Amino acid sequence: MLSLIIFIPLAAAFGLLIVAKENVVTTKIVAAGAAGASLALSLWLLFSFDPANPGMQFVQIFHWVPALHINYLVGVDGISLWMVVLTTFLGLIAILFSFHQTERLRNFVALMLALEAGTLGVFLALDTILFYVFWELMLVPTYFLIGIWGEGRRVYATVKFVIYTLVGSLLMLVAIISLTMVHYGATHEVTFDLRVLMLTHIDPSMQMWMFLFFFLAFAIKVPIFPLHSWLPHAYMACPIPALILLTGAMSKTGAYGFLRFCLPLFPAAVESFAAVIGLMAAAGMVYGAWIAIAQKDLKALVAYSSISHLGFIMLGIFAHNGTGIEGSVLQMINHGIIASALFLIVAFIEARMGTRNLDELRGLSNAMPVLYGTFMLVMLAALGLPGLNGFVGEFLILMGVWTSNIFSGLSGILVLMGGLSIVFASIYMLYMFQGSMQEKSSNLPDGLTDIHQREFRLIFPACLLIVLIGLYPKPFIDRIAPAVESLLHLEKTVNLHTEEKSH
Amino acid sequence: MFVSSWLVLLFPLLGFVGLSWYGNRISKSFVGLAGCGTIAASFFATLVTLSELLFLPAAERVGHVQTLYQWAAAGSFKLDLAILVDPLSVFMFMIVTGVGFVIHVYSVGYMRDDPEYSRFFAYLNLFIFAMLMLVAAADFFFLIVGWALVGLASYLLIGFWREKTSAVLAARKAFVMNVIGDVGMVIAALVIFETFGTLNFVDVFASAPDKFRPNDDAALLITLLLLVGAFAKSAQLPLHTWLPDAMEGPTPVSALIHAATMVTAGVYLVARCHVLYELAPYTMYFIAGVGIITAVFAGSMAMVQYDIKRVIAYSTMSQLGYMFLAMGIGVYSLGMFHLMTHAFFKALLFLAAGSVIHSLDGEQDLRKMGGLQKVMPLTHATFLIGALALAGFPLTSGYFSKEAIILSSYYAEMGNVFFWTVAVLTAGMTAFYIFRVYFFVFAGSPRSSSPHPHESPAIMVIPLLVLATLALLGGALGPWVESFLAPVFGNVADHPQDSALETIALVAGIGGIATAGVLYMVGESRLAFFKELLAPIYDVLFHKFYVDEIYDYLIVRPTKAIATFLEQKAERDGIDFAVDRVGMQVKAVSHGISLWQSGKVRAYALNMIVGVVTILLFVVFM
Repeated sequence: MLSLIIFIPLAAAFGLLIVAKENVVTTKIVAAGAAGASLALSLWLLFSFDPANPGMQFVQIFHWVPALHINYLVGVDGISLWMVVLTTFLGLIAILFSFHQTERLRNFVALMLALEAGTLGVFLALDTILFYVFWELMLVPTYFLIGIWGEGRRVYATVKFVIYTLVGSLLMLVAIISLTMVHYGATHEVTFDLRVLMLTHIDPSMQMWMFLFFFLAFAIKVPIFPLHSWLPHAYMACPIPALILLTGAMSKTGAYGFLRFCLPLFPAAVESFAAVIGLMAAAGMVYGAWIAIAQKDLKALVAYSSISHLGFIMLGIFAHNGTGIEGSVLQMINHGIIASALFLIVAFIEARMGTRNLDELRGLSNAMPVLYGTFMLVMLAALGLPGLNGFVGEFLILMGVWTSNIFSGLSGILVLMGGLSIVFASIYMLYMFQGSMQEKSSNLPDGLTDIHQREFRLIFPACLLIVLIGLYPKPFIDRIAPAVESLLHLEKTVNLHTEEKSH
Repeated sequence: MFVSSWLVLLFPLLGFVGLSWYGNRISKSFVGLAGCGTIAASFFATLVTLSELLFLPAAERVGHVQTLYQWAAAGSFKLDLAILVDPLSVFMFMIVTGVGFVIHVYSVGYMRDDPEYSRFFAYLNLFIFAMLMLVAAADFFFLIVGWALVGLASYLLIGFWREKTSAVLAARKAFVMNVIGDVGMVIAALVIFETFGTLNFVDVFASAPDKFRPNDDAALLITLLLLVGAFAKSAQLPLHTWLPDAMEGPTPVSALIHAATMVTAGVYLVARCHVLYELAPYTMYFIAGVGIITAVFAGSMAMVQYDIKRVIAYSTMSQLGYMFLAMGIGVYSLGMFHLMTHAFFKALLFLAAGSVIHSLDGEQDLRKMGGLQKVMPLTHATFLIGALALAGFPLTSGYFSKEAIILSSYYAEMGNVFFWTVAVLTAGMTAFYIFRVYFFVFAGSPRSSSPHPHESPAIMVIPLLVLATLALLGGALGPWVESFLAPVFGNVADHPQDSALETIALVAGIGGIATAGVLYMVGESRLAFFKELLAPIYDVLFHKFYVDEIYDYLIVRPTKAIATFLEQKAERDGIDFAVDRVGMQVKAVSHGISLWQSGKVRAYALNMIVGVVTILLFVVFM
């Protein structure tokens, strides 16, 4: 089941290589078919998932490297469930959208499918080595997608992105191996099974080191301020179909990593670093929003707004209570939907006007009423209008931060910074929306048309979800909650003597 | 029970959705019919709810929470989608749907020639829905939702003529200002949840008296944070600058949103949370103080403006100040009563002004009007009624509500002579500025360049007549309002009687009217000497105390400058540069050890493994 979700896109990616380059129709059928099948399966997964069960479901295991006890082990819980659905959902949209791409379409969609598969693997892997493999697998297609199809300073952007992320992930590999060694030291049993490793108590000073290594990998991926500097370059260079997957799904792998690894494995380290990370996240929120105000390029504006929103997500995670983390997971879904919809809109505008520069855009509303309506809805969701989905996540996160024990004295400041970034969000979103759509323009190109049916169909599901999650978030949260609660109340049962020794 | 209360909300929502989807495909007359029909249906449903409520004994009329479904349960946070039916919410329903309906009908005539007729009615319906949501919410969360949706509707309607740059800017200003208020309310909600473990009005208010002693820090914090929202929405100092600019919207919008209903949301909020405010007497003083200062501040600015809509806008701010004064000194039902009469006469004034503007082809400058008395007899009569009510002329509705507040500002427990004096002074100013407008517009000879000023069509005049009737006779509803709201606010003590103070206030009002009249008769040219004498004051007032400019220098420009600074310095030259430098250093070092670079993949793999193992050893044996 889960394996099918991962491997259908991957198999299609390889399968496409035997399709002739010129054969656009087959390419499209295979790619859309694979992404669609993956989405269909993940929706089936969503409905057969048992919301009350906090543990891993649909677990599949098969021995991979028996000598080292490395297994192919996948499973899904309430947190990864939504990430999988989000990834396959955005995957299909991104693939369909990339059909606009005419240059070397076959290779492009093959890489997109590989990226989707890698991201899905990260969300589903329960074996630490398998996780690492998928983690690196995500990097390869991204490298080519930006490097070959990108725009502007694409080589600089890719090199920066890849080296930055590699630094983080190699250290993570170290931490993964030492994790197993610690477990071996306690039980004389080699395992990379995350579910077992979670139960191992680790010496607090040891936790610090390992936490930092994991932290670096995840924090760069998210990214957390001030480790974010690859993001504007990469986003600016990245072609928009790939950007949908990049911002919608891949950026969530970092936040997911914190939830899956850091919180359960290193509780002591989380406790001591939470305040610092909370401050970094909040600083990123304000910083990203503030810079977004000064942006003239729509793509850059959305990129910086992403930094701000991802800061929100991190803040909720490190509030370390049910409300905050559940809000964060919900906000991961929301951000995936909203940011990708915004990038779609940017692409629609650029395709018609030939520019993304706010100074050159003006008064599109009369020619494009449908785009006007959808843009407004998405923009309102992005600035966190109460009643739409963005606000639900932000409210829960702020609630979590405010009632957080781990932030204690800092809560007030962090909430105020959150408030400031919300105010800024309304400013830059209105700049973006009003600047491009309203007022009067004398030099609109002749024959400017509204978005086509085909384009509208791409963005409509996102609009629907924006309203739906805003009106009725309960079914979403209900599936997240049990997994989060079990994560917060995890009891360490293995290697407890170390703890006694350390006292 | 109270199924009808859901219908009250449902009709305008259906109207909004329907008109947004199908508005362009149906005829104009049907759009108008649908837009007004939904509000009429909503008003009818309100009456049904009201009668259901009135069948209950007075004590059982409060606390009817109608739950639709559980909205969310995350961690310890649980919330239902629910509305609260009690006299206060039904009272607001009546004003919103009643006055709203009249203004919808008026808009059918006023917006007749606008190409985006259906969009206008869709937004108006959205506004009514949002406002009903705000007053119906049974908890702080959905209060905030309604609060923000109202702000959205106001944004959309201010910026309705989206090709006009000034309208776009005004809309943005209003939205951002309101978001600041929203954030204050969100934080207030967080504190409330932390303190009470719930956001539900009924539970919070029931347990508040046991939780707080008067002026507890938490009580002060909650009430002050809520006030940020209330002041932003109701245009009280210092968050008022958006309201005069909001006059960029079509005039019915100014009447509906920026006079009759939305701006009173802040007053409603204080009334709704009066249990909390009573536990924070310091905040009450603060509210009364800000209210009275705003009243005189806005009143003084209204005296010198030449844009007819701006004068009425400042007047709204000033009257809202009175309402906040009433809230601050604890005479809630008087405040709500003034809210109601104000809704009548201020909507009337705006619509009558709209009728004037309409007939002069969009002219808003007072200096270019005049002599319309004969040409527009009905508009003239209704405007006069509205002006008299605003000035508090005896036996009009404004007389009963305002006079009572002014008297209470001295006699209420928290009242004092300062509040009373300023309130009377403001009453004088009010009478002066509105009659200044009256004389400018209707008396004398025409100064307009418009060739054919004419009376407006019946569809605009009939709403004026309805509102004029209410503005004239609405004062009689006073005792009923008080007894109807008594289950919410508790029974009020006897009203103070003091004919001396009443007479002084009355004289102030009539004096204001007389001054306006005399100055007008004398004529501007002969007042040149006084004008010169008062020039500095006049200048400050005309430029709205330079608040916009001060905000621009203190907040707007620094924010933008810092944004640019962060982008240039912190981002490009700071973080990004530092990261690249690290990269270059590594590159330089690796040149030194490039001997290792044999070009063989196997060697690289070996190097990598050695590296990883080294770090691993380091970590494990540290």
